[in-house]
Amino acid sequence: MTGHPSRRQMLWTTLLIWLAALVVSACGQAPAAPAPTTAPATPAPTTAPAAPTTVPAAPQGTPIKVGCSLPLTGAFADTGVWVERGYRQWAEDVNAAGGLLGRPVELTIYDDESKTENAVNLLTRLITVDQVDLLCGGYPGTAAAAQMAVAEKNQKVYVSMGGHMASFSQGFTYVFGAPPLMGQWWYEGLYSWLATLPEADRPKKAAIFTINNPVGAAILEPMPEKLGALGIEIVVNERYDVPLTDAAPLVTKAKAAQADIFFANGFFPDSVQIVKAMRALDYNPKLIAQGVGSIIPAWVQELGKDGDYVFSGTAVHPSLPFEGISRLNEVAKAKYNAPVAPIYFIFGYAWMQALQRGVEGAQSLDQTAIRDWLKSNQITTVAGTFTFDERGLPPPYNYLTQVIDGKVELIWPPEVRTKDPIYPKPAWGQ
Amino acid sequence: MFYELAQSLTSGLLIGSALAVLSVGFSMAWGITHVLNVAHCAFAVLAAYLGYWSLSLWGIDPLLALPAMLPLFFVLGVAMHRLLIRTTARRAHDLGLATMVLTFGLGVVMENGMQLAWTPDPRVLKTAYSSLAFSIGPLIVQAPHLVAFGLATATIGALYLFAERTFMGKAVRAVWQQPMGAALSGIDLDRVTTIAYGLAVATSAVGGVAMSLLYTFDPATHLSWLVYVFLVVILGGVGSILGSALAGLIIGLIIGVSSVFVPLAWNNLVLFGLLILLLLLRPQGLLQR
Repeated sequence: MTGHPSRRQMLWTTLLIWLAALVVSACGQAPAAPAPTTAPATPAPTTAPAAPTTVPAAPQGTPIKVGCSLPLTGAFADTGVWVERGYRQWAEDVNAAGGLLGRPVELTIYDDESKTENAVNLLTRLITVDQVDLLCGGYPGTAAAAQMAVAEKNQKVYVSMGGHMASFSQGFTYVFGAPPLMGQWWYEGLYSWLATLPEADRPKKAAIFTINNPVGAAILEPMPEKLGALGIEIVVNERYDVPLTDAAPLVTKAKAAQADIFFANGFFPDSVQIVKAMRALDYNPKLIAQGVGSIIPAWVQELGKDGDYVFSGTAVHPSLPFEGISRLNEVAKAKYNAPVAPIYFIFGYAWMQALQRGVEGAQSLDQTAIRDWLKSNQITTVAGTFTFDERGLPPPYNYLTQVIDGKVELIWPPEVRTKDPIYPKPAWGQ
Repeated sequence: MFYELAQSLTSGLLIGSALAVLSVGFSMAWGITHVLNVAHCAFAVLAAYLGYWSLSLWGIDPLLALPAMLPLFFVLGVAMHRLLIRTTARRAHDLGLATMVLTFGLGVVMENGMQLAWTPDPRVLKTAYSSLAFSIGPLIVQAPHLVAFGLATATIGALYLFAERTFMGKAVRAVWQQPMGAALSGIDLDRVTTIAYGLAVATSAVGGVAMSLLYTFDPATHLSWLVYVFLVVILGGVGSILGSALAGLIIGLIIGVSSVFVPLAWNNLVLFGLLILLLLLRPQGLLQR
């Protein structure tokens, strides 16, 4: 190495680094200090289809501040940004329809960079420093579960997906899953549909591979009992760590055990590896059920034909016959060029609607009044109609989905079915 | 049991070769230039995205795009070395630590830049041979694994020949083994380290393409790849080209064997447990004396 650099060289290097950091932070992607993104209080002009409302009075008075943190960068950003878009769409619609309690709504959404500790700190900041009137929920389940404790401690109503059953079993009274994303309920639709098949047609041997994290544990929890009740023997039941280095051993184990139903209880990256290995090793069970990965848009966009015929579950869906869903589909198409409203867009919108129902029902921003109203009344959102028990949960439910011709179709219950299921699974490539 | 073991070993060894080619540049940079380039895998992910782009936008297979990527990444490596590393090296008391912090920051900037360019959505590379597989008796070899193995063999082989047979390669080795002696022999340290660094970043492109054939990727993937890179380099010995190759294969072997004989959830425990054991026995790496 030679002597000292010239001042000009140092200056250019510093400038380059600063410029790069500036570009990144200007786009709301900086991992440093949390920069809130605040939605306008007044209705913003939009290219999206207008809400089917009559001309309402413009919202007046001090804005109602609603705040939360979401993973807008980092590992969970792909879904986190859709939750944010759902929240913002709700705020836009509410403001266009005259506001909440006649007042405009103002959103403050911090980026927690997909880190649970940031999510907790930012929620505390929203409550203590920003002094928001209402909270919106975080994502994913790990962040939501941690934030639920903060909300409960501060006696703030907190509507989110929750962090599976464990998070709703802490004795909290201000938390609601409206709807929740409940691992324990993930295959409710699948179990119900399998029960309608003649016993001879049902799969006989199950291989279960589960991601080694709280989501996987929640999905796995009821499986032995539920599958046992259907007469399905579990021949392989293993957990794996992520990143999954090699999916071939999983597939060879299932193949060697002659399992005819394969459960890949994981996320997108590991499940893609598993499906690719299944195809390569020519292992074609009668039914493949997958955890969380196959209902996100990337599954059909990125996997194409290989992602077909995979069953999964969901608590919301763009084809559900609920009021407001078709409009959200149009909005997603017009604003974000998405073929239909992504699931987390609907989730975000539905959680805010649930909160809105509580506020309107209580006619107040008093958190205890909102909580009590929600616990004693039925609410309707784009995700359906809900009542809540003392834990803040609706009765157990989940829809069965299957990817058919690159679309996530609803299979069960029959009243929401969008396509007949394809079972047993055709050979690979067909 | 035999079928499971043989299949897992085959698959594990081929995956190990991809880990080796991903790691060899990191090892070179660390050994020769004493720079801990934590952004190495961010460059690899960038190459994966460029490969994805070439396939989805122009229908050009990432393997065919690789010859264009290599000089680009070489230039990026040279620029990074000249603009950032050298400048930091002149100021820092502890080069390893300073460059680690610097390249970590660069990795974060690159990750966020890739998020802006390609969104955080995970990507899957679907080439014409993604679903192909070959049977060798009862064993099945997946075509992407075989391609990754081919890429690794060619790259590591070329690097080895470069280091052994060319004057510049010998100069690089001399700088690695005895910088002071190399300088006294008239070797231009600045030039040699810059070229070595450019080569190291260029190999990250090969590693990124090889890994993208096997795994999904998103802008944040570089951190999970980095764990394996450290594993390979520490096992193989810092700066050792053949050591990286051998370490990659050994790690693949361990993954394959442990997947059959111990529960899958213990894979990482076995892997890192053996690593600790090997470090206790041979802290200098496998092939270094």
